[in-house]
Amino acid sequence: MRLFTTFILLALSTSMMAQRYMSREATIEFEAGTGLEPIEAITNAASAAYDESNSQIAFQVLMTTFQFEKKLMREHFLENYVESEKFPKASFKGTYNNGTISGDLTIHGITKSIEVPGELTIDSGNATLTAAFSVLTADYGIEIPSVVKDKVAKSANIKVSANLKAL
Amino acid sequence: MYRKLLAFVLFITALTASAQEDLFDLFEDSEKPTELVYATFKGTRLINGQTLETPGGGVAQYIISHRFGSFSDRYFYNFMGLDNAQIRMQMDYGITDRLNIGAGRSSVLKVSDAFIKYRLLRQKTGANSFPFSLTLNSSVNYRGADYTDGFNHHNSDRLSYSNLAILGRKFNQKLSLQAAIGAVHWNLVPSPQDQNTIGVISFGGRYKLTNRMALTSEYSISTNTGVSNETLHFNPISVGIDVETGGHVFQFHLGNVRSMSDPYWLTRNPYNPTAGQLYLGFNISRVFTIRD
Repeated sequence: MRLFTTFILLALSTSMMAQRYMSREATIEFEAGTGLEPIEAITNAASAAYDESNSQIAFQVLMTTFQFEKKLMREHFLENYVESEKFPKASFKGTYNNGTISGDLTIHGITKSIEVPGELTIDSGNATLTAAFSVLTADYGIEIPSVVKDKVAKSANIKVSANLKAL
Repeated sequence: MYRKLLAFVLFITALTASAQEDLFDLFEDSEKPTELVYATFKGTRLINGQTLETPGGGVAQYIISHRFGSFSDRYFYNFMGLDNAQIRMQMDYGITDRLNIGAGRSSVLKVSDAFIKYRLLRQKTGANSFPFSLTLNSSVNYRGADYTDGFNHHNSDRLSYSNLAILGRKFNQKLSLQAAIGAVHWNLVPSPQDQNTIGVISFGGRYKLTNRMALTSEYSISTNTGVSNETLHFNPISVGIDVETGGHVFQFHLGNVRSMSDPYWLTRNPYNPTAGQLYLGFNISRVFTIRD
């Protein structure tokens, strides 16, 4: 009997673990052009996780995984704007609640609270998460030098989508 | 008793497992991806010498370089040397991320040159890290200027070559160092005592002052023991500043160098820095993405 209880509890503890979903292939894209020249990048190598028990969401992305059309643009992005050697990752930690994602977004070593519209659906062991929002680069201490301010927008439009698998 | 305890522990685990652990912990076991180190140097030239960098596949680059007149030569009369400018233009293209070819023309002795550059080894970080980069560079140079020695010269007399292996490392975000080792070959030397083949080693570095500005320096030594006027040589030494704005890199520098074709400045540099034969100069590069 005791063995049985132990087994049930063990099963329970594993099943509660399984309320988590995760992906290492989440897509994040952003766009920060002014129309003069397309400035956009995409990565399919972001990590994302969702915990159903408390509605927590976490995202993490290595800045070096962002792909640009122009090699030099990537180099400038990494070296001059996000300073990837000092701040290799961007991350988000927050919660999903009824079409709204709120929490702390960290870019360039600076953390800000954000609240953005998002969508989360769970279907047969998969969770799909999407969000689109924009951030002001100045909020994250990313300076845009005056010589390129015609080309680089003050805000970046970010799109996130992830297909998470149950753990 | 033991089982009760175990059951209790498991019960607590069941309750707290998902709530307590940080979601970020899930991400940690992923292996750090291997990444190529980027921007060891801002430009494909440091000051006079080639860096280990190439422009990247599908990218064309235009470089215009000037070396002004000497400090010791009526400096203000010659408008700080600007009246006596030497020029070199270069156009080059990245066939792949590793392979780069280009051509240049310098006003010093009307030298035309062509070069091929290949990034053999690249510094990497992450799972399969690699500590340094190695780039090979070869140039062929044709002297267009008339000879004044009264002889008829074959075209082959006008040719000189440089072959360099450039070894370098980005130590951190600010500091990058490189050493280029190789040889220069002259098809024609003025006297039998002058060497046709001369060994060279060039040291260079950059230290970033801000995100878009860096201090650069370069010093080269050679085995040149030339005895003729033409083969007189002082070791080239230069200091400079790199300024980057979007697709341009501006490099301003001061050194005892005026020739900009590799064999010439590496082994036939007649300017004595201690006698005030120092020259201001600049390189400006612009890149164009031709294909993605």
